[in-house]
Amino acid sequence: MSENLRVVENATCTFCGCVCDDMILTVDDTQKRIVKAKNACVLGRAWFAEHTIEEAPAALMEGKPATIDAAVAEAARILVEARFPIAYGLSDTTCEAQRQAVAIMDMVRGNIDTTTSVCHGPSGIAFQGVGESTMTLGEVKNRADLVIYWGGNPAESHPRHFGRYAVTAKGMFTPNGKKDRTVVVIDVRRTPSVPAANIFVQLKPGKDFELLWALRVRVKGRPIHADIEEITGVPPATIEDLVQRMKGCRYGVLFFGMGLTMTRGRHFNSGALLALATDLNEFTHFVAKPVRGHGNVTGADNVMSWQTGYPFGVNFSRGYPRFNPGEFTTVDTLARGDADAAMIIASDPASNFPREATAHLRRIPVISLDPKATLTSGLARVAFRTATYGINTGGTVYRMDDVPITMRKAFDSPFPDDESILKAIREKVRELLLARTPHGARSAFELPLTA
Amino acid sequence: MTLRLELRAAPEVPVEADCITPDRLRQLPIAEIERLPVFYGNRQVPLAEVFTVSGAPGETIQLRGDMSRVKHIGATMSCGQIHIDGHAGAHLGAEMLGGTIVVSGNAGDWVGPEMRGGRIVIRGSAGHLAGSAYRGAAVGMTGGEIIIHGAARNEAGHGMRGGLIAIGGSCGDFAGVNMLAGTVTIFGAAGIRTGAGMKRGTIIAMQPLEVLPTFAYACEYRPSFLPLYLLHLRRLGLPVTDGQLSASYRRWCGDAVELNRGEILSPSI
Repeated sequence: MSENLRVVENATCTFCGCVCDDMILTVDDTQKRIVKAKNACVLGRAWFAEHTIEEAPAALMEGKPATIDAAVAEAARILVEARFPIAYGLSDTTCEAQRQAVAIMDMVRGNIDTTTSVCHGPSGIAFQGVGESTMTLGEVKNRADLVIYWGGNPAESHPRHFGRYAVTAKGMFTPNGKKDRTVVVIDVRRTPSVPAANIFVQLKPGKDFELLWALRVRVKGRPIHADIEEITGVPPATIEDLVQRMKGCRYGVLFFGMGLTMTRGRHFNSGALLALATDLNEFTHFVAKPVRGHGNVTGADNVMSWQTGYPFGVNFSRGYPRFNPGEFTTVDTLARGDADAAMIIASDPASNFPREATAHLRRIPVISLDPKATLTSGLARVAFRTATYGINTGGTVYRMDDVPITMRKAFDSPFPDDESILKAIREKVRELLLARTPHGARSAFELPLTA
Repeated sequence: MTLRLELRAAPEVPVEADCITPDRLRQLPIAEIERLPVFYGNRQVPLAEVFTVSGAPGETIQLRGDMSRVKHIGATMSCGQIHIDGHAGAHLGAEMLGGTIVVSGNAGDWVGPEMRGGRIVIRGSAGHLAGSAYRGAAVGMTGGEIIIHGAARNEAGHGMRGGLIAIGGSCGDFAGVNMLAGTVTIFGAAGIRTGAGMKRGTIIAMQPLEVLPTFAYACEYRPSFLPLYLLHLRRLGLPVTDGQLSASYRRWCGDAVELNRGEILSPSI
């Protein structure tokens, strides 16, 4: 071990949506790595321990090393020449970089979408349709006496969610932590989160909507006209008990995961849960919150909403933002073969998208920005290697409850950050567009106005 | 008086041609029609770059070619006719007020979203969200008719507040979801959660279907309006059998989480 050790206090872990900001990192400046991450969970420890600076060129064009300037120029040319350029990813980078990406796609009249569209996008549609009764995690810690997890497994996906915010955390009105709370887990299988719960409700796969609908109708005091146990696998007595607990609590929370949003019914499942929370506000205070995955996916929603008015799946091809999930979400624009260029930022769709979508990604020019070599950067025409956010760059990220957190970096990276690459591309795009605008036209995209 | 537009080549990226309506084209000379702007991806191009234009401008527009990437055809039209010989893209007849659109092939997602009047006939199948509300809106189609001879996918008639949707084949999940009024008739198999959250309106499912637990079985009867509706649909070429005309229908009312004034009708066999 080297002698050159340094401690960074109050660092932020950006592995999951909890964005824990109480990390105490021990950094080895000689070996350029983090040797100890105090307070981190098992996922956070791996996130910090596995981070190394690899020897690699900062930019590749057609797989060959290139200068950053040449790669930026080529990326800008691809975006300006495309007729349906798309940008995707953004959930594992800073808000500052996300903002640049929105600006670029606005200028080139492209389509911008984030990984929200393949995780909690349906919840985004549901928020718009049903509304959201919301809170911050601090409120949950201090007040919640009934916590329900629906279709999620935080013990494995967000290990500190229980301890820091929702189950064992001690707060102003919950001084005894778990003793002051009732914790319910509703899922299709017995997950490692179940031991933390007082009540586990196992329902049949794909019947979330029916159970939510049954709960809603019972909360309203109306009868259920069917054998609900036969349909959902949950006995009527359990439903009655849940309804009584929900109506009788002082402050109830519904946390929901992708078990709800990515199963048949999607946004209607999220919508049913949000509507249940809304209904319960007739009796007590009740809130609902998606448990978000990626470190800054909530920031992506916030930046997109702030800049375009919509959280994901936004298209600028007519010169103004339009939102239409299903039409402008990335899986759809790729699978239908609509896109003719793609810029992928901090994401690896080539490894997890459906086959038609990845096949199209192979046919079109791709620009990638990623701290690591991925399948997507492997097929990219222009691939930038960037600094890892939260470890090698500062900036802002949003926790899953829409609370912005400022990060401090642990040590420097030889690679540029996403924001500076995107800023350079934006400047180049501006130059190219100005040069292309015909005389008398309002922009490079519209026909000249003739009298 | 028919204006003929033929697609020059299948577009590489989506084309948005919301200028193709009889309202807009019927009184323009051909040369001016050729200069009308359409969006080819993010670029405005003259219509003549995408279509060859021939015939005489009038009440009827005849389109030919595989237009599955051409969006917004007939959007907001209020009169005249559009005949599409081939497939049609998304947002066909969006917010239309009147007139007729006939498609010989399939149509994309959002057929007649938020339409107010007129008729859209799809000889093939339609995509998701036929006659629906756009995202964020509570009210979908409020009038007119959407006749789909083939299958439809999810959320047909989402937030519908009037008019008629008839689906000759099967349809996806959540048909008539959040419906406020109007009629959806499904001749093939319906997906799950039909009529979820409906306040009023009628869904007629000719095949046995799974009804949500929040719908209450009411009775079996012969609704007097139904033969009238079915004879109208038979005249439009939908597969209405004599048995369906004379059958008695089981009625469920719901959705109890909402106003509970909607109904699902299904023939008793």
